Amino acid sequence: MTYLSFIKTEFLVLWRRKQDVFNALLFFIIVVVLFPLGVNPSSDFLAPAADGIIWCATVLAILMAIEGMFKEDYTDGSLEQLVISGLSLSLLMLLKTTAQWLAVLLPLLLMMPLLAEMLYLPDGSFWVLIVTLVIGTPSLFLIGSIGAALTVSLKQGAMLVMLLMLPFYLPVIIFATSAVRAAQLGLPYLGLLAMLLAVFLLSLVIAPFMTAIAIKASTN
Amino acid sequence: MQSSAFLTISDLWIERGERDLCKRLSFDVFSGDVLRILGENGAGKSSLLKVISGAISPLEGKVFYGGQEVTNDRHSLQESILYLGHSAGVKKVLTVEENLRWYCPSVSSSELHSALEALGLLSLLDSSVNTLSAGQIRRVALSRLWLSKQKLWLLDEPFSSLDAEGVGILEKRIMQHTASGGAVILTTHQDLLSLHSRDISLSL
Repeated sequence: MTYLSFIKTEFLVLWRRKQDVFNALLFFIIVVVLFPLGVNPSSDFLAPAADGIIWCATVLAILMAIEGMFKEDYTDGSLEQLVISGLSLSLLMLLKTTAQWLAVLLPLLLMMPLLAEMLYLPDGSFWVLIVTLVIGTPSLFLIGSIGAALTVSLKQGAMLVMLLMLPFYLPVIIFATSAVRAAQLGLPYLGLLAMLLAVFLLSLVIAPFMTAIAIKASTN
Repeated sequence: MQSSAFLTISDLWIERGERDLCKRLSFDVFSGDVLRILGENGAGKSSLLKVISGAISPLEGKVFYGGQEVTNDRHSLQESILYLGHSAGVKKVLTVEENLRWYCPSVSSSELHSALEALGLLSLLDSSVNTLSAGQIRRVALSRLWLSKQKLWLLDEPFSSLDAEGVGILEKRIMQHTASGGAVILTTHQDLLSLHSRDISLSL
């Protein structure tokens, strides 16, 4: 096994399992669509709430997608093969998380113009929302991969992943929605984006190692 | 050639849960060896293979490979071992060829064809593993033995779910491997038909 053949196979498996990604995205769209229907369809309510709705739905969809990230590898024994492959497990985990992130984020970004229009997101803050998604979601995936790795050997791990990881997701949600809101109000938002980037870099440094340790403990 | 051991296990002590397994186990593996690990269910046969491969850490004891201690840093050892565990490590959504290309990306298609032909899988090259039987999936996992260049094979119950013909093919391949200087450590409950092995017994 090489790093290249690993990442190729990851994308191939994601492509064959595109239904899973599609389910998470469908869930995302449903949550977003339910707000105007269930609460208030007027632009007075939706315009200021749009960024919050989109971010909450994103977090929920990512939590759904990430929970099963290692499940199949664990049951078919390939996780064990990764541990003993002689390659760096942290790097393999980083590659795997990157593949998962791309598979969810790219379709999510494609849908964004439509959803932003639907929620009356003010024009000026659309690109800020996109930037917060691009630099905010990697943190969610990286932190989430630790939780998914910790709970992979448990039968009822899904709820535990959410409980474990949600507190670590809060700073990302807060900084991301604050940045979009600041942009809507014409306030400086670069500082908030910088904080979001800092969270991303911090999780990029820590998460792959933690995930590798958790995987080793789980395959034991 | 037989004089120096390339893998040495000394004073190994494995703990699983609350149980102690393999108390103070020591043995050497020479090139050309077929080592069969015997023991009751739960005696720690699989755990021993996992410890050698580095998937789990021993409580005590040392592992030497090529004269160097590799107990804490298994990278040099892991490059020359091929471990096949209870679960085959074969991805169900991929085809047979895609699975093998994952593990052995550098093999040429003629090598791939001859390996699959030896195992009677050639016609299934493009079939999804989902559609294969347990014995066929085991054969897919075993075909890595034809494709990889690793010297030391750790095989955990390699004969399970294989038919008589499959067992014969695998034994022949193990013989070829040891004849060319490799070594094999395996666990099995079956009698080996044509292979001569050194046995190590684990007791509870």
